[in-house]
Amino acid sequence: MLILTLKKEWLESKREGRIIWLSSIILILLACALLSSWHSYQQLQTQKQQVIKSERERWLNQGEKGPHSAAHYGVYIIKPDTALSVLDPGLSDYQGAVLRLEAHKKNDTLFRSIQDAIQMQRFGDLNPAFILQTLLPLLIILLGFHSIAAERESGTLKQLLANGLSPKSFFTAKVLALTGLGLLFFAPVVLYLVYSLLFNDGSFERGALFIVSYACYIFVWALLTLIVSSYARTARSALITLLVIWALACLLLPKFAIEDAANRYPTASSQVFQSKLESEIYTPARQQAIAEFKRATLSKYHVDNVDDLPFAWSGAQLQFGEQYADKVFDRLFGQRQTQLEAQSLHYQNMAIFSPFIALQTVSMSAAATDLAHHQLFSNAGETHRRLIQATLNGDLKDNGKASIRNNKSYQGDHHLWEKIPDFNYQYPAISELSAHYGRAAACLLLWLAVLFSLSYFAIQRIEKEGQL
Amino acid sequence: MNILICFCDIKNLCRERLLWLLVAVTVFFSILASHNGHQWALAQNEAINSAKHEQQQAASVIKQGLANRQAQTQPIKWWEDQYDLRGQAFYLMVNYATKPPIPSAAMAIGQSDVQPYFFRMLVTQKQAFINQYEFVHPLGLLIGKFDLAFFIIYVFPLLLISISFNALAQEKESGQLRLLMLQGLSPTRLLFSQLVVRASLIILPLLLISVAALLLFSTGIGLLAISLFTCLILAYAAFWLALSALIISYGKTSAYNAAVLIIAWLGFVIIVPAILNTAIVTANTAPSRIEYVDTLRDKSDAVDKSSSKVMAQFFQDHPELAKKNSDNKTASNLSTSYATKKIAKIAAIEAAMQPYDDAFQTVLMAQQQSAEQLSYLSPATVVQSALFNLSGNGLMRHQHFLEQVLSHHQALRSFYQQAISAAHQRGDFKPCAGCIARVTLADLTQVPNFSYQEKTSDTPWSSVIILLLFSCVFIILASLRLSAMNRSQTGGVLV
Repeated sequence: MLILTLKKEWLESKREGRIIWLSSIILILLACALLSSWHSYQQLQTQKQQVIKSERERWLNQGEKGPHSAAHYGVYIIKPDTALSVLDPGLSDYQGAVLRLEAHKKNDTLFRSIQDAIQMQRFGDLNPAFILQTLLPLLIILLGFHSIAAERESGTLKQLLANGLSPKSFFTAKVLALTGLGLLFFAPVVLYLVYSLLFNDGSFERGALFIVSYACYIFVWALLTLIVSSYARTARSALITLLVIWALACLLLPKFAIEDAANRYPTASSQVFQSKLESEIYTPARQQAIAEFKRATLSKYHVDNVDDLPFAWSGAQLQFGEQYADKVFDRLFGQRQTQLEAQSLHYQNMAIFSPFIALQTVSMSAAATDLAHHQLFSNAGETHRRLIQATLNGDLKDNGKASIRNNKSYQGDHHLWEKIPDFNYQYPAISELSAHYGRAAACLLLWLAVLFSLSYFAIQRIEKEGQL
Repeated sequence: MNILICFCDIKNLCRERLLWLLVAVTVFFSILASHNGHQWALAQNEAINSAKHEQQQAASVIKQGLANRQAQTQPIKWWEDQYDLRGQAFYLMVNYATKPPIPSAAMAIGQSDVQPYFFRMLVTQKQAFINQYEFVHPLGLLIGKFDLAFFIIYVFPLLLISISFNALAQEKESGQLRLLMLQGLSPTRLLFSQLVVRASLIILPLLLISVAALLLFSTGIGLLAISLFTCLILAYAAFWLALSALIISYGKTSAYNAAVLIIAWLGFVIIVPAILNTAIVTANTAPSRIEYVDTLRDKSDAVDKSSSKVMAQFFQDHPELAKKNSDNKTASNLSTSYATKKIAKIAAIEAAMQPYDDAFQTVLMAQQQSAEQLSYLSPATVVQSALFNLSGNGLMRHQHFLEQVLSHHQALRSFYQQAISAAHQRGDFKPCAGCIARVTLADLTQVPNFSYQEKTSDTPWSSVIILLLFSCVFIILASLRLSAMNRSQTGGVLV
């Protein structure tokens, strides 16, 4: 039955020349997008490796200088990519990939590609995720909208049912045929995933999540198309209904969802945020806290002057200043992060109304190109920055005293710089991050469950058609 | 006759629920898109006003606290001292360069959500501030806002297609067309009358709502901008209606027309712009920002290592400072302050990075030029470019803003390097009785202020003309096909 239906679908598609053309165009676009993404990824990885290496060399060979000068010299770290970012670049262009770690400051990532882009970029990039998430559902609709409605319109449906065709088998065969056709477009992606697993150190867990979620998405659209087609009186009304659903799910609802999220959980403008940072760090309270710390330290060591302390006061004071600022960073950046996470969660919740939102969230998460992974990288960078400051200030505190006695300024050297470990961040396993995509994945499954239930009614409707 | 056709078509349309749904959707989306555009312009104005207020407040705090500062006996570090030129220049200055939205900003949010519209200035290398950005959820930037530009470019053609795809085809399918033709009605007249009536049900609410919102809420908006906006909408609508007429003129079923028109929409609005964008970026690949960081670090290190060479170059470029510094001293023993050295280093790094910055700029301009040339391949890109430019939220106005920001940055550096050098000559940075340094900057009104100078941009009439040209071609082709159909049908009837 399935083979027969597949043959029939193929023949009908062949007759509808435009569908073959459109399918071929989309397949070619997908192949081009995949190749172009893969080429850019390879180039970017080579550049990243080179820059990471030369940045490390620069740090180690910065020569003799005061530890605090080295802290200001700072380090640039670069966000890692997964092999799946070839398939779904997600938010990569909208979040910088470079982070500067320096004394007294917590920075945001630098160099967002979108700031170097022309305005036509706002139409979107031709990347595999765009084709699979936005164009493929449309192709499934165009392939399947007339599947049942046209049979009904032309009267062949009644004939088929009168000849003993089981509505269930008929519907299942149509769904499988349409899903199979949809999955054909997914084949180049699967090939790339296998390649990345074998040769590119790809993560099996992430790859599996990617494949399963996209397969579910294709299945959702195939089911939706055939359910609408089986309910519609004419092929025309089926097409219009499906196009409205597609436009809502893929174009409009994501916009409304993120806009609503931003309104519900607003973040302050960067002007307000930066001036708040400054006004909350460099305050009289900070001066007072430093003075209090000085008094407590002098009293602890039973001395009257910082010069009489058994260590270099400057190192201790610098570290105290860092820790004071860190608390403000934790609070203000934490508040901002909480709002952004609330926005992400709200957007994810909207997946209940749009399978596109569900897939997009899971796909970006699997590819590590979402905001959650970006924040993980930023947080790891901040931990590294604090480690650098603590090491350098600690060294100044412990070893700066001797130089002061000799009336020299203390200089750190290669041995000190080597104490700062390499920043080598790896994203955690995707299963540990389920909080960032779990609801979206559940919504995708819910879509499947609901559509399965509706399929039952669609089959019944076809059955009734035969009894009339 | 025409009025009768229109009247009949309206009567027929009124029977369909779909019509009311489409009109309701147009009204709702027009209101929503206008509202979002105005809200965004308001938010930008609010941030800019807040920045200005912060700047004014900083100046007034300095003015009011001057007496206290002069009376202060506690030592104060210069980098924490608001009354120290060096502290102000390198760390504490509150000086903003802002790009205010123009009155027609609500037409398109454009690039203004991804490009910074204000910069906090400091005397530092430009690389440290030029990449600042507004930190918002990046998903909002990827998806974009629902503004008038989005509604017009993406949704408006879909609404036009939905209301027009079965014009003439419906009459043909029901057999009415033959009867109407027998009564002397030509299919050309019937189709164009139907299209005009149907499209006006979508175009009029959109125009009325968006123009009314612009006139009511966009203070100072010019009639030229409104006229151009209206013409763009009409020309874009003409394109889609003419294309519909062409496809309908092939005489296929309404389902076929709908499918072909949707594919055309998909091609023109989604696929072609994405292909164009990818092709333009691939043909003119921008240098890597990752490598840029690497170069910046190398150049900074090189400047650090050759400080004497850097200073020599600096004094060669600024002989007025060298002269003052080298009074009664040999050239090799210049008594240059830390601050002057820092400014010289900043200038040297910027000079060393200039070729790399130029490379980015050259590629961006080449990409933009290609985009402008190729934009005629899709009506969506034509309208996007026109709306972005008309709203002042396009790339070229931003580039113009950046040029002014960099000039302001130079002016600030020049002001501080002169003032610091003079203060250094006077010995103002040496510890004085009861304090670590004298007040060297008591009045912030002396510091250069930024004021954005609007550049008159070309009004994008060419976009309207090109859309109308395409529409004319489609209409002529459709008319030819319909005339042929009319002849063959009439011939058939006569036979």
